[in-house]
Amino acid sequence: MNGVCVVGMGTTEFGVHEEGIAELGVTAVGRALRSSGVDRDDVDALYLGNFVAGMLEGQETLAPLVADSVGLTGIPTMKTEGACASSGIAFRQAYQAIRTGIHDVVVVTGVERMTNAETPEFTRALGSAADHGTDGATGLTFPGFYGLVLDRYMHEYGATREQVAAVSVKNRENGASNPRARFRSPVTVDDVVDSRLVADPLRLYDCCPAADGGAAVVLASADVAESFTDRPISVLGSGHATGRSAAYRYDDLTTLEATTLAAEEAYETAELSPDDVDVVELHDCFSAAEIGDSEDLGFFEKGEGATAVAEGRTAVDGEIPINPSGGLLSKGHPVGATGIGQIYEVCLQLLGDHENQVDDAEVGLAHNLGGSGAVSTVTVLGGPSHV
Amino acid sequence: MSEFDSDSEPSQFPATRCADCGALYGHEAFVCRECSSEEFEDAPLDGSGTVYARTTIRVPGSDQQGEEPFEVAVVDVGGAESVRVTARIEDNPEVGPEDPVEFVERRDGVFYFEAV
Ligand SMILES: [Zn+2]
Repeated sequence: MNGVCVVGMGTTEFGVHEEGIAELGVTAVGRALRSSGVDRDDVDALYLGNFVAGMLEGQETLAPLVADSVGLTGIPTMKTEGACASSGIAFRQAYQAIRTGIHDVVVVTGVERMTNAETPEFTRALGSAADHGTDGATGLTFPGFYGLVLDRYMHEYGATREQVAAVSVKNRENGASNPRARFRSPVTVDDVVDSRLVADPLRLYDCCPAADGGAAVVLASADVAESFTDRPISVLGSGHATGRSAAYRYDDLTTLEATTLAAEEAYETAELSPDDVDVVELHDCFSAAEIGDSEDLGFFEKGEGATAVAEGRTAVDGEIPINPSGGLLSKGHPVGATGIGQIYEVCLQLLGDHENQVDDAEVGLAHNLGGSGAVSTVTVLGGPSHV
Repeated sequence: MSEFDSDSEPSQFPATRCADCGALYGHEAFVCRECSSEEFEDAPLDGSGTVYARTTIRVPGSDQQGEEPFEVAVVDVGGAESVRVTARIEDNPEVGPEDPVEFVERRDGVFYFEAV
């Protein structure tokens, strides 16, 4: 098995863009290629994650279209889709291809454009991640699924609304100093618990904003990585798992097993445990999601996630810093771009170049989750000293 | 089953059972998760249920525009041999985990329950 490294990365700001979806992808890939020292002739394949370009933009065939537009004509390309985990899956496929020796250099990108859609169309498009015949038919929305999760979590573990709001407060504070974030203003606990209800008990400031954006990385086998850059980031472990297709399919809605299974595989391949992780970017599409994720990834016992965030244990200077980028709650959630956007933020931390730098960050974890806990990818990354 | 039972009795819940292995399903299955059979038979259950989790949808998708707010819940229905389903709760935004509910009907493929 070959080692796999990140040798280049690029991103757009996450926010409101006038550019079309292909242009966002081309911009991110172009920036990643420029930062990588990789020649176009070195690139063996391009994988692209996207969720709703067909529905909202009327644009498909994105992977070959982006590849041709950026001068990578001729190589094999493909799009991966798993709702919010679309580009985490693209990254995983590239990792597998390099690890098994099929390719040496693969460009991975994620793109989405959402802010030009009206709220009902946007909500419907996001809702397409739900199973149409069951959850979807009831009108259960994406926030609604996490409303169910939080309702059960508060019932079982006695978490308070104020504790859950602390996730949004922390992430919005972190996002205030991230130039890639859509929201750069802090909020208070009162702002969160007084904001309007969206899907009880979730309120507006518990929900990540939509955004447009693109992000890309260049992956290379460890054999050749140092010919491209003197600061490669090592992919130490990777996991990818399927979970439950709908809310009723869970015996325990407070544990999303796609995450626990993907994490288990990623820790096992990395030969590391949650205690070894210095910095985390996890899938906080909603405040409630971060609490469950922090438990499912093994950082806290079941039921401790809410008190942990309220006590500051996940702050940038806390025992396990979670979402120092501001997370989806601040950066926004350009669905198909989010997974690579998270990996981009973790790589910046491991290079020591982040705006909210965690001291001595050597091992980072990125967690991407799609649908109603239907699919997850977990990536464990190591700084240049790990190659 | 009848969808026109008197008010005092909950309607029976229209579960189905795998004809080959007996696995029980609330939402319709097309292939059995346990044995891959495509044969199912009706297996009506007691319509008494318990709420597992509930939310109120206040920002619906375009297919449900104008219906908001409405309650969606995960419900365990059927008594001793129960199934778990995603359903609508009619006219009761206060119902929550462990509260009793009764099955009313299936309409356009959606299960409707009401608070007891
Ligand atoms: Zn069967």
